[in-house]
Amino acid sequence: MTYKILVVDDEPDLEPLMLQRMRRQIRSGRFEFVFAGNGVEALEKLAADSTIDMVLSDINMPQMDGLTLLEQIPDVNPNLRAVIISAYGDMQNIRTAMNRGAFDFVTKPVDFDDLQVTVDRTLAHIEEWRAALDSRDKLVALQNELDVASKMQQSILPTSFPKTSDYETFGTMHPALDVGGDFYDVVRLPDQHIGLAIADVSGKGVPAALFMMSSRTLLKGTAISFDDPGQVLSEVNSLLQEDDTDGMFVTMLYAVYNAATGEFTYASGGHDAPLLVQPDGSSTLLPLTGGIALGVLPGHDYKQTSHVLQPGETIVLYTDGVTEAMNADGELFGIEGLREYFANKPPVDSEGTSQQVMQAVADFAGDAPQSDDITCLTLQRN
Amino acid sequence: MEISTERDGGTVVATPAGRLDGSNAREFQDALDAVVQDTERALILDFEQVSYISSAGLRVLLVTAKALQGNGAELALCSLDDPIREVFGISGFDSIIPIHASRADALASVKG
Repeated sequence: MTYKILVVDDEPDLEPLMLQRMRRQIRSGRFEFVFAGNGVEALEKLAADSTIDMVLSDINMPQMDGLTLLEQIPDVNPNLRAVIISAYGDMQNIRTAMNRGAFDFVTKPVDFDDLQVTVDRTLAHIEEWRAALDSRDKLVALQNELDVASKMQQSILPTSFPKTSDYETFGTMHPALDVGGDFYDVVRLPDQHIGLAIADVSGKGVPAALFMMSSRTLLKGTAISFDDPGQVLSEVNSLLQEDDTDGMFVTMLYAVYNAATGEFTYASGGHDAPLLVQPDGSSTLLPLTGGIALGVLPGHDYKQTSHVLQPGETIVLYTDGVTEAMNADGELFGIEGLREYFANKPPVDSEGTSQQVMQAVADFAGDAPQSDDITCLTLQRN
Repeated sequence: MEISTERDGGTVVATPAGRLDGSNAREFQDALDAVVQDTERALILDFEQVSYISSAGLRVLLVTAKALQGNGAELALCSLDDPIREVFGISGFDSIIPIHASRADALASVKG
């Protein structure tokens, strides 16, 4: 590629000398020179021609000197680099020039071999600088895409929750910095039934986000087609197998709540056990149903079990972002941490309970960075 | 990620260490891929020095188990501490990957 160099000097002799000494580089197409007689003219040339790569400037010139020119170059093009030509031993001006952003300097009388080395080094630096800028732009573009993915994930979460005089539900999620794979869903079903799902996709980033979107869509479609939670998970599992999942899987707990009877029937696909909290804050873990994470084992038959909620009882569904939240000492919050929290602060209503869980995790983690999505979905029988 | 390995006939015992989570899943995967190539009969992962495993780490194990299966070999784990054992129980992964109390038990079972 050809580099375009602007030479600024009020000495008319420099132009023919430069063209003569650099003739090989000019002939080979590596260098192209543009000349200006002072700083004002140099700025005009820079403004008119954005393809100039570097500036080689004398210091003492009429109208505008080289030191003033140095100050003004960044306004025209912040990615230009300048090399100053100064009188031998003029450390005062050289220091001022370097302070004003000159990349390097050569002294008079100009040694053209030395100038060649200096120009090559400056151009090499410009190349690296441009590559760095390019990487930064790509990184910013990638970050923007991840932000979009993250917002899409947030936007598919339900924002209104069924609530009657008999029961209430509430879900909340605090996403980690990376796009991740937690989600929850609440599906209104016929005959006073509601479906509740909470899930955690393995891994992070865009693949996990895409897998989460398809898991969530499959769940929603399946939930309205089958009554039994076990059957729903079996169906979603076999649908996930139809795609090449590349080792990705999703832990999911799906439950159907019958508001008429208080019966809470659930099936777990490798997901943490539901926590049953009493009005006095005491709690027990409901039994797991022995199911494996979805997307792992084709044809797996998911079992279900049920618990009849008594008035005042609350079911807390959560992801491992809650139990594996870590504090600055590297300790895990754990299910015991959550149970202890409720023992001290018994649940009041469903929305409050979800927010309480988030608060408990935040209090425990303190300043430690959040590495996983933290998600909680609660159901309370009034 | 450095994973020390020992060979016992067609069986390789590998000892990963530290946390196995999203931050190093790629390296963990690359390290195991290399070991899988050299495994004729069975790969035993000794979890003695593993302090934590996230779902991203489990995914690597799943991919590894499938790769070994494709080569006619098997995967087994041993020496898991209680919290990690619990992760395998809850996720159901203990029903697809055999888990043994000690390295000796794991070696005995793969020699069957």
